[in-house]
Parts: sequence; structure tokens; C-alpha cells
Amino acid sequence: MLNRRINYRVPRNLLVLFELIALLLLFIYHKGNLDRFTIISGLSLIFIIYISNFLLLRLSSGDNYIFLIVTMLISIGVIMIYRINPLLGMKQLIWLGIGIALFFITYFIVKRIEGWEKWINVYVILSILLFILTLLLGSRTRGSINWISIGRFSFQPSEIIKILMIFIISSYYTNYERYKKVKYGSYYLIGIMYLFIGFLFLQKDLGTVLIFYTVFLGLQFIYEENRRLVLYNILFFLVSGLIGYLVFPHVQIRFEAWIDPWKYIDNKGYQITQSLFAIASGGFFGTGIGLGHPDFIPEVHTDFIFSAICEEMGIFTGMAIIMLFMILVYRGFKIAINQGNKFFRIVALGISILFGIQSFIILGGVLNVIPLTGITIPFVSYGGSSILSSFIALGILQVASEDLDYGEEKYEQGN
Amino acid sequence: MYNIFSLIFKYIFIVIIYLFILSIIRLIYLDIKGIDTQHLDDSAVYLKLINRKDSLPFKVKEYYILDDEVSIGRGNDNKIVIKDPYVSKKHLKIVKDEGNYYLVDLNSANGTFLNGDRIMDVVELKNGDRIRVGQVEFLYVNRE
Repeated sequence: MLNRRINYRVPRNLLVLFELIALLLLFIYHKGNLDRFTIISGLSLIFIIYISNFLLLRLSSGDNYIFLIVTMLISIGVIMIYRINPLLGMKQLIWLGIGIALFFITYFIVKRIEGWEKWINVYVILSILLFILTLLLGSRTRGSINWISIGRFSFQPSEIIKILMIFIISSYYTNYERYKKVKYGSYYLIGIMYLFIGFLFLQKDLGTVLIFYTVFLGLQFIYEENRRLVLYNILFFLVSGLIGYLVFPHVQIRFEAWIDPWKYIDNKGYQITQSLFAIASGGFFGTGIGLGHPDFIPEVHTDFIFSAICEEMGIFTGMAIIMLFMILVYRGFKIAINQGNKFFRIVALGISILFGIQSFIILGGVLNVIPLTGITIPFVSYGGSSILSSFIALGILQVASEDLDYGEEKYEQGN
Repeated sequence: MYNIFSLIFKYIFIVIIYLFILSIIRLIYLDIKGIDTQHLDDSAVYLKLINRKDSLPFKVKEYYILDDEVSIGRGNDNKIVIKDPYVSKKHLKIVKDEGNYYLVDLNSANGTFLNGDRIMDVVELKNGDRIRVGQVEFLYVNRE
């Protein structure tokens, strides 16, 4: 059966079928307040997704699974968000449209311009500027300063810094031989990373600290020649985790709620227990869209979207989301292995680790496997900056999946 | 009324999502099966397939390493066998001579094309040349 010839049309058509049925169902559900604009935007997004998948096959000689997987994830996400709150669902639709456009723009820009590995200083300065801007202009939501609001528009600079950070690490290790000759050169990167982590501590944005640390640790583990630095880094990670626990009361609350959520069901553990109730009440096939009560969970459209999906679409869909992320990360690693250009190989690794760790942290948190930290699931949760930065990262991964070296001079290989 | 719809559709959704995952895994399976375990080191001279592998209805590998003499054709006695109906039984060979590689057409019926031009008898290959045989197109890579 596996040998039967199939091609890219099969998953693409399945995706469109899925979206059309879901759209139909949502319109029956919300038939009280339907307007033409909503229908047109829904249909046009389906069209855009189909066309993008089709075009990508022609445009890019690289991987064409990653965009398919991601479009499935965004479809499941936007269906659930629209069901919870039609207004947010509409906003999400628009963000997704911009995100897909940004994916193609990033793809062309990153592919056209050469020498990304030379501009490490630009990335560092830009990141520090963004951090300072966040501290000066940021507004505080639930304990951490991570939003900048300009007029009606607000965004989270740390989402952009995540990508800049991957670029910094990649350009550092691409030019590793050069930095090794300079005195203390091998400490440059660690210095920059701890500066960033210090900024994030000041913002009390500990979920992002965790992401930065793991991406950095993963890439350092693969590329650092001085193995002692890796060990120091892990030790420092443990120590700073302990300090974070002792200094920040909201970390202690999260930790207590993780150990025994049932004891604090009326306050600290309310969110997580509601999430567990929701997942359990859905069963394997779910209650059906519109028939559950995901609105019992606070923050259901961002951090807890996974519980809502499990409740109404079933644990099988939840497992499907985890499987989709696993395939996505696997493709990312495969891209990294095949890429001959060292800079883009490290970037591909970094982005795969980023997607993997981000989904692991929040899915684990929602299922009470690890302490809860408030971050979004890439591509699934509601949130403009998260969607946009994830699509930028995906665009870069798409470039990295292409054979960038042939016909030109062979790239200098460090190790 | 809506409840019945929703109850039926939830099963349909799960079936579609899993079919989607299955079809992607199948495509990836085909992709992995084609990975060569041959190691391409820096000095290797090889042919790289330009076509998308699943667009061709016959077996063809992603890379072919070139040594002193490599023949391409539909017949089973060739070093590189391509079961394309537009490829002749003995189509062409690539010969190494004093460090350079030469492409020799063996009077094939449909011809061999180098960078779009049909070649007559013998041509020297340069890095980045595109060789088209039947429906298959290769990139010649020699990074010395």
C-alpha cells in the first residue's frame, strides 16, 4: 500500500476539504450573526492557503512538507478560535493572511541577499535596542513586561528577538575559527546570551527565558568545541532556575500549582484544573464543535487553545497536533542535515529547536506534565506577533531547505 | 439540528486529519527510501538529479558518484540504469581522462542535451553543467 503512487495533491485536497467542512459547520453554529465579510474572508483564506501550497511547489526547489503541515496547524487553530470568539477569529484570519504574505516576502528577501553570516553586530545591536524599547515603553500584563503598544497596535518584541538570536548564534558559529583566535573570543557569545537573558529577567518574562536558554544550549551542544562551556552553561541554567524560583513569587505559585493543582483548585490551580477537566470531558472523539464548554478556562484562546481543541475535537485531534509538530521538527532536522551552507544549517537547526521546544513547553504545561509557563503554541494560538514571527521563521526554514551552494564556490567548512 | 451535524462532523474531522498526516508520512517515507547511504565527501564528483523525484514514473537516485567510466542507458548492463522509454539501451557514457571528465553520446535515438544544446560526439564537462537524458535532468558537480 505504501508503494502506491501518491503525490502532493492528496494532502492539499484533504486540507481544503477539511477547511470547507469546518467553515460550513462554523457558519451553521454562528448563523445568528453572519455577514458577508466573514464568509468572504474565510473562503479567501482557504483559497490563499491552497494557492500558496500550489505555488510553493513551483517556486521552491526545497522542502514542500513544512508549509503543508503548518497550514493544517493554522486551520485547526483558527477554527477553534473562531468558535470560541468570532471577533478574535476574524482578527486571527487577518493575521494569518499577513503571516502567509510575510512568509513569501521573507523567503524572497533571505534568498536574494547574501552574506547573512557577516552581520552579527547588526543583529546584536538591533536585539539590544528592542530590549531597551520594551523596558521603556512596555506595558505590564500578568506579572511580565513584554508588550509595546503603539496606538491600537501592540506587539511583543521578544518574538522578533528570538529569530535575531538564532541568527546571532549561527553567524557566531559560522565564523567560529576567527573568534577562537581572539582572546576571550569563545566567551563573546555566552556574554551576549546572558545579557539577553538578564534583560528577560528584568521583564520577568520567564517563559521566553526558557526558550532562549534551550535554543542556545541545543546549538552550543552541537557546535561548541570547548565542551566545558556547555557544562558551565547547564550549571548556570540550574542555578538561575533556582534563583528565579526564590525571587519571583509567580514562579513559586506556578510550581505549587504544578505539584498539586487539586489542592489549590479555587485559586492558583484553577486554570490548570479546568484545562484537565476540559481534556477529560472530551474523550477520544470530543464533544463536537460548539457543544463543549471551553470558555470555562481562562485565557483559552492563547495559552489553553490545546485544551479547547482536545475538548471539542477529541484527544485524537490533540495527538494529531503533537504528531504534526513532531513531523515539522523532524523535517527541520532533515533540512539541516542536507544543507551544505553552514550558516543556514545552524539556522535550520535553531528554528527546528525553537518550534519543538516552544510547543513542548506549552503542551506540557497545559497537560500538567511540566510547570505552566504562559507562551503561545506556534501557528495554533491566537496572537499577532506570535503568528508573524513563526511565519518569518518558517520562511527562513524554507530557504534553508534549498540547495544554496551548488555552482558557486564551495563554502568553507569549519568542522 | 446543529448538534447532529456537529456530532457527525467531529468523526469526519478526525478521519480527514489522520488521512492528511498519513499522506504526508507516506510522502516522507518515499523520500527517505531514496536517501543514499553513499557518503558524498568533498572531493566527490557526482551527478545530482534536478527533477523532483516523484515526478518521474521510474526509479532514479538523487546522486550518482562518477568514477573512471560510467555508462547511462535503459539496458541492465549499464552502470546507471534509467528505465525511461526515451532513453536508449546504451545512451551515453562519462569518461575520466587526465583528471577531466568527458561526456560521450553513444548514438542515442533521442540525443543528449548539455545546457539545452544537443551534443554531437564528445564534450568536456564543467561544474554546474546540466545534462538532460530523456525526461531526466542531472547537474554535474565537480568542486575541485
